[in-house]
Amino acid sequence: MPEPALVASHLGKVYPTARGGKPALTDLSLEVPNGRVYGLIGRNGAGKTTFVRIAATQLAPTSGDLRVLGRDIRREMPEIRKRIACVPQESRPLYFLNTEEVVYLYLKMRGMDPVEARRRTRDAMEELSLTEYRKRLVARLSGGLRRRTLCAMVLASDAEVLFLDEPTTGLDPIARREVWEAVRRTIREHRTIVLTTHYLDEAEALSSRLALIERGELKLEGSPEELRARVRYPYRVLIQDPFPAADLAPYGRVTPVEGGHLVFAREADARELARVALERGARVSMGPVDLEDIFLEVVGRSIEEDGSSETEIET
Amino acid sequence: MTERHRLRSLLTFVQLNGIIPIRTQPLFLLNLLASPLSFLFFIFIVSRGALIQYGVMGGMVLTMLSVGTGLQSDLTHYRHDLKFQDVVVASPVEAPIYVAGMALSELVYSLPAIAVFVLIFVAAGWATVTNVLVVAGVLVLVWAFACALAFTLATYFQDVRETFLFSPLISLGLTVIPPVYYPITYLPAWAQTAALFSPTTYAAELVQASVGLVALPFATEVRDWIVLVAFVVGLLLLAAVKARWQEP
Repeated sequence: MPEPALVASHLGKVYPTARGGKPALTDLSLEVPNGRVYGLIGRNGAGKTTFVRIAATQLAPTSGDLRVLGRDIRREMPEIRKRIACVPQESRPLYFLNTEEVVYLYLKMRGMDPVEARRRTRDAMEELSLTEYRKRLVARLSGGLRRRTLCAMVLASDAEVLFLDEPTTGLDPIARREVWEAVRRTIREHRTIVLTTHYLDEAEALSSRLALIERGELKLEGSPEELRARVRYPYRVLIQDPFPAADLAPYGRVTPVEGGHLVFAREADARELARVALERGARVSMGPVDLEDIFLEVVGRSIEEDGSSETEIET
Repeated sequence: MTERHRLRSLLTFVQLNGIIPIRTQPLFLLNLLASPLSFLFFIFIVSRGALIQYGVMGGMVLTMLSVGTGLQSDLTHYRHDLKFQDVVVASPVEAPIYVAGMALSELVYSLPAIAVFVLIFVAAGWATVTNVLVVAGVLVLVWAFACALAFTLATYFQDVRETFLFSPLISLGLTVIPPVYYPITYLPAWAQTAALFSPTTYAAELVQASVGLVALPFATEVRDWIVLVAFVVGLLLLAAVKARWQEP
């Protein structure tokens, strides 16, 4: 069995503050398998970026251990850095370069042979539909194109583990899909991608495993199917016509929605409720819970709710 | 990384932060020339031409110091606004390569401004082998000092606007009070003492002496070189201790 790309054991991070320190990660243990996309999901300030920054050797951990590609994050940083690449959250390319230069010079900066760097630049620009913008200055690009350029930059590299921190923020739906395709192609090259995202559809579409982080703690970890299996109510039933809420309560957790109710239930209860509702002539749809539902059940809040004020530190 | 990879990486920083910005926005070059030429003009008018030679030598020193000011802004901007330093940290590039590459890139960026002063230097008939060696040596030390100062200060800045606040203070401490544009004897006694705390005083004395503007005893010349080198080494050591590649 191949060695995991990342192994975190009881990892902790406390940011120094005037009042003695603010914890951002607490006792976090997880394994990121090799050659897959691993999604980190959580609200703003949950600790996702702190984890990525530690793993990308940009930030020192306070406690615990982390091994990247079998190397210790404290003692073997130079070895790790040769094999990783990162698009940090809120990063922007240098505004006076054109898009082609951003990718090409990044590869050369990593020490890549110029001929190889040219070839990889051309391929990455094509993959992310950036060829028509290759001579355009970054300063004149939209925010979405700038993010795409940064993605092209690290995807073109020869790094074995790529850290993409909120890579598709600000992209339109088509551009997001292009980044997804590029990510999938990268995985076919047996590289590992650690992805943090606010978009739960993106996390589910790309990740083979997911970690749900809240207030610096790992709340849930596994494949999307495993996550569904671990929640109390793995199915959702949407009843769109007026239906007495009291009649729904025995089946599971009831949430009022516009024009009806959403019921989270176990599989057998969900089937039974759907049957009863159809018999009464209500419009019904039923299916497994999605990541948003799982998130809501585990955290008790929507992923859209900002959690950074609770940690007081941008993490 | 092999030595070849390191060299390629270093030259890439020179290209992306020194050569490409000149191509993209040549007007920046005028900006770099503005301060030294303004001082030169001011000195020329006030002294009715008598101190023009001091102005030329001072302009060279000031241009090299401006490299540090530019580096300080770039480092802060790249680190905090663009997160470029984070991109570089998570790559095979080693910290000394980034440091040297960025410092060299600023030097390349300032070469056109230096060239203007070199032209005046040659036109004035000062370009003997000895003079060129002394002036080049002093300017390299001023550049190293300015870069080390930039790396140390950039560690503390959280926003590029902070660098704009500090630049006038640095300019006051390194180019206005120290006798960069005039002989040290023009200063009152207290200011002469204060000027001894600035490395630019020693740099200015050496370049002024090299072209015969002031007469320095041999012992003073040796002292100036030693103090200037000590400033550079001290600040480089401080930068090495304080500058952070990985955040704690």
